[in-house]
Amino acid sequence: METQGVTGANEAVLEIRGLETVYRTDDGTVRAVNGIDFSITERETIGLVGETGAGKTTTALSILRLLPERTGRVMAGEILYKGQDLLKKSEEEMRLIRGACISMIFQDPMTALNPILTVGSQILESLEIHNVENKAHEELEARVDELLSLVGIQPGRKHEYPHQFSGGMKQRIVIAIALACEPLLLIADEPTTALDVTIQAQVLVLMDELRTKLGTSMIMITHDLGVVANTCDKVAIMYAGEIVEYGTVNDIFGHGAHHPYTTGLFLAIPNMKEDTRRLRPIDGLMPDPSSLPPGCKFHPRCPSRTEECGIARPYQYERGWHRISCNLFREGFDS
Amino acid sequence: MSGILRTVDLKKYFKAGHNRLLHAVDGVSIEIEEGATLGVVGESGCGKSTLGRLVLGLLPATSGEIYYDGVNILDCGKDEMASCRRRMQIIFQDPYSSLNPRMSVYELISEPLVMNGACKGKKEQLARVIELMNTVGLAERFINSYPHEMDGGRRQRIGVARALALKPQFIVCDEPVSALDVSIQAQVLNLLMDMQEEMGLTYMFITHDLSVVKHISNEIVVMYLGQCVEKAQSKELFRDPKHPYTQALLSAIPQPVPGRFQRDKLLRGEVSDPINPEPGCRFAKRCSHSRPECSAMPITLKERGDGHFVACLLYD
Repeated sequence: METQGVTGANEAVLEIRGLETVYRTDDGTVRAVNGIDFSITERETIGLVGETGAGKTTTALSILRLLPERTGRVMAGEILYKGQDLLKKSEEEMRLIRGACISMIFQDPMTALNPILTVGSQILESLEIHNVENKAHEELEARVDELLSLVGIQPGRKHEYPHQFSGGMKQRIVIAIALACEPLLLIADEPTTALDVTIQAQVLVLMDELRTKLGTSMIMITHDLGVVANTCDKVAIMYAGEIVEYGTVNDIFGHGAHHPYTTGLFLAIPNMKEDTRRLRPIDGLMPDPSSLPPGCKFHPRCPSRTEECGIARPYQYERGWHRISCNLFREGFDS
Repeated sequence: MSGILRTVDLKKYFKAGHNRLLHAVDGVSIEIEEGATLGVVGESGCGKSTLGRLVLGLLPATSGEIYYDGVNILDCGKDEMASCRRRMQIIFQDPYSSLNPRMSVYELISEPLVMNGACKGKKEQLARVIELMNTVGLAERFINSYPHEMDGGRRQRIGVARALALKPQFIVCDEPVSALDVSIQAQVLNLLMDMQEEMGLTYMFITHDLSVVKHISNEIVVMYLGQCVEKAQSKELFRDPKHPYTQALLSAIPQPVPGRFQRDKLLRGEVSDPINPEPGCRFAKRCSHSRPECSAMPITLKERGDGHFVACLLYD
């Protein structure tokens, strides 16, 4: 696509425009993702942050076209991988893209691995499927050894089964599988949520090292603002299927303008540095995605809502990379 | 000084086959003052949940003593135990699996009342259930709902209401907010703290999350592989963590401040096997300060001033 060339020197690896995804269920249509835009350039990490039901995982599954067949459907938008719309690819073409060009790390390493296959053969599987250069079996086996040592596991353990490894080790194996074909883009869906904090730190550092080494771009899906601050370049805060605030890590974690939801999220985290006894939760609950409120989706919970918030789509504030979708910043606002 | 709950050298070993023993809780002595909160922190497999179940008598201890209100619950009779039980409750971690999906909110909250014959007649029971729902902030319209119709935060409120039903003195909170989103987590933590102020409850708060425990606890116990490695007042522990494991735990928490981890402070390796552990400090293999003496002898908790206890040779 020509528009891609115009974007400039930093060519986008992935560009999402106006993505809308729904789930059709007996109880109605669940609007999981409602028109989101973002792009990732080479070697960049973008964090998708939000609570349960914000649409983070649905976004990831839409990119890889792994939505549940019967219910999930992309209603509108484009997902451009190096300029080509993934939504227009055939299932055959998608199979070649998954794993080789875009791969995914799932949340729970305990269930992501097949318990009756050795870890070595599970890494080998991905290499065999994408063996476009017709490498010999020995070469692929050597690559398995290489991958295992890359993630800090002795290659000798490749004949062992998943249950013989601890949680942190299993997640390292999942990472080895995801990186086996050196994909350009890695989607990590809560990669450390199931792990203990000291092991989480080890895995995050490992991922960071490998990413730098291989030059992979990454989408980091998480609910943990601490993880985002430690791994991402850009951040998208999601709420009820929309990106309510987007910016560089410094925009989001800085003291400038913020969406009231972002402010609420930060206030709700127990702060290690301060000595406040009471926490400040966000009032109310996430809206039901099958009957979303009109206007700004956050307005029923928002402390600074006005009447217009419940009527029309909120104002789009933009300063450089920083985008906030909120009426607070409509006019004369300058920080 | 005598707290409402006190354990002395409490041990729980599980049989792991082939004459091997899994040392889940290995010589833990704690004490909780009435109306206070003791935080128990550690990673998976450190024995913190086992400790919680032991003090409630939900698991038989291998050895040691547990005093609840001065009564040793390990050798008291059935009747005495039953009356103790009523005053101790537990809130479970996972509001998705700890509630029976076939019971309505009314049935769930009234179950402890029925079991203990706490109410005379249906009318009183209904009134008490509604009172409990109000206390934990559940709207009355949910009274005939089932757990699957509710979100995690509301389900956990049912769990809290069930625990409060018999007006207990002491509640073990076993990771009560780990399965919840941050904005909801804060709501439930505030609720627990309000309950404590209103009813003078005593909590044993079990969690893997140091930032949560900092907010709610008066005193904190850090556990590693079944043993207590550090014990101090909450403020003191965060101001001056002494045990290398506590220090590593604190520095491993990703802070919401842009920047990368300080790699030099990261822990090497993983938690070792709790089955037939070797003598000496169980953290020695991962510790950057370890010396040969660390594995030579059992290391006990020693006071290092101002109620700050540490089990580490560094301070000898």
